Amino acid sequence: MTSLEVDAVRQTKTVLKLDKVCKRFGGVIAAKDISFEMFAGEVLGLIGPNGAGKSTLINLITGVYRVDEGNILVEDTDITRLPAHTRALKGITRTFQHPHLLQRSNIATNIYLGTDLARKKKNHIQASQQQELLDRLLQVSGLNQDFSEGIGKLSYGEQKLLETVRAVLSRPKVLLLDEPAAGLNQKELEKVEALVQIALEMDAAVLFIEHRMDLVMSVCHRIAVLNFGNLIAEGTPIQIQDDPVVIEAYLGRKRDA
Amino acid sequence: MKKNIPNLYVISTTNQATHTGGGFLTRQIKGLGRSSAITSALLMLVAMLAPLAVSHYFIRVLCLTIITYMCVLSLYVLFGMCGQSSFMQCGLWGVGAYITALLTTRLHVPPIIAMLGSMAGTGLFAFLIGLVLFRLKRYYYAFSTIGMMMVLNGLFLNWTAGTGGALGISDIPPFGIGPFQVRSGMANYYLILAFATGATVMVWMLYRSSLGRSFMAIRDNETAANCMGINSLITKDIAFALSGILCGAAGALFSFLSGYISSTSFILSTSQLYLVIIMLGGTSSPAGALVGSLIITLLPEWFRPLKDYMMLMYGMGIMGLMIVLPEGLIGGGKDLYDKFRSRRR
Repeated sequence: MTSLEVDAVRQTKTVLKLDKVCKRFGGVIAAKDISFEMFAGEVLGLIGPNGAGKSTLINLITGVYRVDEGNILVEDTDITRLPAHTRALKGITRTFQHPHLLQRSNIATNIYLGTDLARKKKNHIQASQQQELLDRLLQVSGLNQDFSEGIGKLSYGEQKLLETVRAVLSRPKVLLLDEPAAGLNQKELEKVEALVQIALEMDAAVLFIEHRMDLVMSVCHRIAVLNFGNLIAEGTPIQIQDDPVVIEAYLGRKRDA
Repeated sequence: MKKNIPNLYVISTTNQATHTGGGFLTRQIKGLGRSSAITSALLMLVAMLAPLAVSHYFIRVLCLTIITYMCVLSLYVLFGMCGQSSFMQCGLWGVGAYITALLTTRLHVPPIIAMLGSMAGTGLFAFLIGLVLFRLKRYYYAFSTIGMMMVLNGLFLNWTAGTGGALGISDIPPFGIGPFQVRSGMANYYLILAFATGATVMVWMLYRSSLGRSFMAIRDNETAANCMGINSLITKDIAFALSGILCGAAGALFSFLSGYISSTSFILSTSQLYLVIIMLGGTSSPAGALVGSLIITLLPEWFRPLKDYMMLMYGMGIMGLMIVLPEGLIGGGKDLYDKFRSRRR
């Protein structure tokens, strides 16, 4: 994608805005003055070394953790003080690094949780529309088990895919994917990409945490880099690839001989 | 593409929201699965014919068994579906019983209204108590229900003006609508059976509804449930209120059946027994509540000579069960059945 095309994407409306968000855990600063925007129909990649505060940021946006300072806005509504379930109803849906599925329920129940959320948000969504979306998601993700079986029958990769399917099925405005591809094989990676594509078609703003650079570079329109709770760089994949600050964060500083 | 079709069919039939064809009842039965539907029908037949074959005394035992089943069913909603244990179900049962007793003896309200009053009153009571108790989580919450149970028992025993104190309340009229009076043991049995069946159908429908799914989401993973737009406090409280309504109905039926109630019936150890019953039967389906209730209430009848050793056997039995069948009889039976089937293939 050229930078011109990226600019075209930028013209679309802001869905999520973080304004100087801070979070401390005791002496550890997990997020320091983080500000960025997410746009409808765009994938923002969030990268950074382990412990950089990526998952914390998702937890702050979804309301699992409370923000210490700063504001979070969804379409100009301040959601900083709202509890997690209200934020979900405002259109923020997430997946977890380790899939949070209903372990004692069957696959169908897990999937319907997505439909339930979609219907709670917009009452006018018709059952047929939702079924159509579900059919498409299942076809793309290749999940074709007996849905009355328990979650235990699914492999780890399938569980991660199922969680992403459930998230997209809820028709989110903001979709936060916490390492949706970790532990997945090449075939499953393509399925994740296809699922993200469907979310984009529905004008979602997608936050994509991932370690594999090739995947980040191919999926994301824009990339933000975190290190020790600081946002150290933001830009197109090409800009990020050549950014000396980013290279230093990932590979360490070059020693003067 | 083609491979997906049968699975989507499964999806369509198990979800009311997306399924368009067929009547409501047809969909419910389809969702039940054929083998379960046949089992339920047979069970219903046996339950209908049972009182014709047994003594008057045993009919009364069966009545009490089904009332116990309704209380355990309420625990299935709260504990089995929503994951919130409770040591005060017997207290809620008592609230239901006292409401009916007071309404019929003091205000001379028609029994059917008293019954509805019990359900609504106990449901509301549970809802209000739940708003406070569910501020606590896990075992803190569980301990607080023990406290609440003790408070309720103390209230039943000592509030003489309201509950009759240690004397209890006597002369509760039998259930009836207009000239039709439910007096005999057998008539009471069918009345209680009808309510229990209705309650079971309601709970089954709840299991398949989006509200039921939100209960199960909270049971399995509260954080994930919150992130899927489920308000844990209110949802848990609704589960508690629903269990209160079930207990209220069971309490009213108990009042009508016995004609006399006192605080000795509504004690902590009965609440514990309900938990034991549901652990024994299994928390995964209403069938667990039924099987558990039948075993725990009927076995002492059959093993009367061993009465002194009963508590010992319970204790040992439960410990053994937790080791061998942690999912209870129904859950464990299902696992065995699955193993057997996969071996045959």
